Amino acid sequence: MAEPQPVSPRRGDAFWAGLALPGVAWLCLFFLLPFYVVLCIAFGSVDPLFLTPRPEWNPLAWSTASFEFTLERLFGGSFGRVFLRTFAYVAIATALSLLIAYPVAYYVARYGGRWKGLLLAGLIAPFFVSYLMRMLAWINLLQDDGWVNDVLLWVGILDAPRNWLDGRASSVILGLVYGYVPFMILPLYAFLDRIDRSQLEAARDLGASPFQAFRLVTLPLSVPAILASIVIIALPMFGDYYTTDLLSQSPTTSMIGNQIYLYILGGQQIPVGAALVVCLMLFLTLLLGYYVYATARAQRRLGS
Amino acid sequence: MVTFHPREPRYGRREFIGRSAGGVLALSSLGPLLAACGGGNGGDAAELVLARPDNPVTWPLYDDNPAIASGLEPEKGPLKIYNWNGYLWPRIKKDFGQEYGVNVEETFFSTMDEAIAKISSGAVEYDVFIPVPDRLGRLVVGKVLQPLNHEYLPNLQNAWPSVQDPWYDKGSLYSAPYLMWTTGIGYRTDKVKTTPADLSNPYEIYWDEANKGKTYLLDDGRDAPAHMLLKNGIEDINTEDPEHIEHAKRELESLIPAVNVKTSTDDYTNLPEGRAWVHQMWSGSAISAQWYLPEGLTSEVLGFWFPEDGKGTIGNDLMAIPRTAKNPVLAHHFLDYLLDVKHGYDNFANYVGYQPPLTALDPDRLVTDEVVAPHLTTAIVRESDFDTGYFLTELSQSGQVAWQNAWAEFKAGVG
Repeated sequence: MAEPQPVSPRRGDAFWAGLALPGVAWLCLFFLLPFYVVLCIAFGSVDPLFLTPRPEWNPLAWSTASFEFTLERLFGGSFGRVFLRTFAYVAIATALSLLIAYPVAYYVARYGGRWKGLLLAGLIAPFFVSYLMRMLAWINLLQDDGWVNDVLLWVGILDAPRNWLDGRASSVILGLVYGYVPFMILPLYAFLDRIDRSQLEAARDLGASPFQAFRLVTLPLSVPAILASIVIIALPMFGDYYTTDLLSQSPTTSMIGNQIYLYILGGQQIPVGAALVVCLMLFLTLLLGYYVYATARAQRRLGS
Repeated sequence: MVTFHPREPRYGRREFIGRSAGGVLALSSLGPLLAACGGGNGGDAAELVLARPDNPVTWPLYDDNPAIASGLEPEKGPLKIYNWNGYLWPRIKKDFGQEYGVNVEETFFSTMDEAIAKISSGAVEYDVFIPVPDRLGRLVVGKVLQPLNHEYLPNLQNAWPSVQDPWYDKGSLYSAPYLMWTTGIGYRTDKVKTTPADLSNPYEIYWDEANKGKTYLLDDGRDAPAHMLLKNGIEDINTEDPEHIEHAKRELESLIPAVNVKTSTDDYTNLPEGRAWVHQMWSGSAISAQWYLPEGLTSEVLGFWFPEDGKGTIGNDLMAIPRTAKNPVLAHHFLDYLLDVKHGYDNFANYVGYQPPLTALDPDRLVTDEVVAPHLTTAIVRESDFDTGYFLTELSQSGQVAWQNAWAEFKAGVG
């Protein structure tokens, strides 16, 4: 009897490899190439007259001046402290988002029933409105004579209108949560919806309370989804600059994205802005590396 | 380092539609970054002279960059204008197009640096460009602009005599004046306890703790520190002295514990809508602010302080014609069209809110015409201001870098 052939693509099958080609080309054209340009600007110089960047295309001739300047300020200077603030904001906002998103996703997935479609549509609805538009709406709501103060005064929680927009960190963090939480609910929902109910039934049959079944079955099963959703919202949050620009406008709540914005749109020292972009990307790559490692570990644990 | 400009939109109410959320960072940071690649036109940085009111400059004319000949027929267009958003009344374009039988197209830039990067790369071709004096030298030496042929500009004589022959471009060889403004302090008369004029040093209003959380500086890396320098009696707001720069930075940083100062260029909405009670403000914004007042408030609640002796920050915009213009004759006609008193006035009064420096434009008429509220006459720029005011001028590269770094450190909010 013949050995069963392992189900794997045969060598030299150009058709299957060809399927990956558009994706690879896309990645090269719109990610690797621009990233190389950013590197060439960060390691390049500026035109002495117009002060516009002069990218240095030859890596052997790269100048490290802008990087040295950036690293000096990143470790123990103003960039470093802004970066720590950004990290804190993102960490708090992500944690709060998870606290909000998980129960919502869980509810829709488990108890949505025939309303599931409607609930999902409701969750996606915020995507129809531009992020900036939603933030501008919040500015009006949070103003001294805005509805938020009106309601809080009417209910009696506040005695006098509070200036929510006076540059406080809490407004920025809540703005981030509000802006990014839908992006977290959807992947969580997609995963929780797929959890095999028979596993929960087995847990209950074996004597687990509903809470124990959640803690010992659902939660460990959803670790990869939690990690993925954290990555999905944390990465763009690190580059966010407009939330704080709109809801605070105070230097004390500026994020690393604001410094990048300042150096890149402010002209003159665009290589410094590019170097900051590269540093941020390196950090995010580390974060992503940890994500890949943690997911692999979680999968192994679930597999065994 | 002009990071922002009076008419620069950031997330203004008018422009938010069309900006999508996720793409904002990617688009706005990578766009200029990539557009900025590409060299200059071979200009020599060593030739750059830093023009100052006490060091007026006559820019050289180059053999390989001549002005157009006199007596040519205007081209068939389309006339391409490169301008700040909201800085030209659309009706002007329509009327001019009808008069000359051409289409007029306007493209917007959002920072002067972006505009210079694009225009100096030679990759874009515009017929009319609106630069600022503190970049004019670089544009001339880099041969980005072509000299003007005054035969086509009879209306230049409508401008104040001083701006016909300004220190930044003696003889107006490469530029014609467009609009003028001053930078003063806007405040809400119904909210503040002390107005700038009540103080022996009006700039100290920024430190008034009664306005905590309601005090704004312009989000501009040179305009904001200029007021810090003036507060300390340093009249050379173009100083490159490291001690002065450090001092201005410390003054800025001291505003954080005092009033948790904020920065914005939406001065024309922040003040009328009540987010700000004290706002460093461009005069054109002070004039426009009345249109943004919520219902029930009259323009009486708006105040604008500018030094009575005219010794405050002043600035202007120019009109110029790029060397690569496809329609240079038509472009000259357009410049002349805007220098016409009626067109200049209409553009200002109906739309822009920033004032053209035209002799026939009687400041008192602005009040009777209800363009400017009677108690906001301080926002009107007078010809004498051009001589007494302090201009933010072109800096050396190291000066620009030093100011930018100081501003970035203030904006980091960690000082």
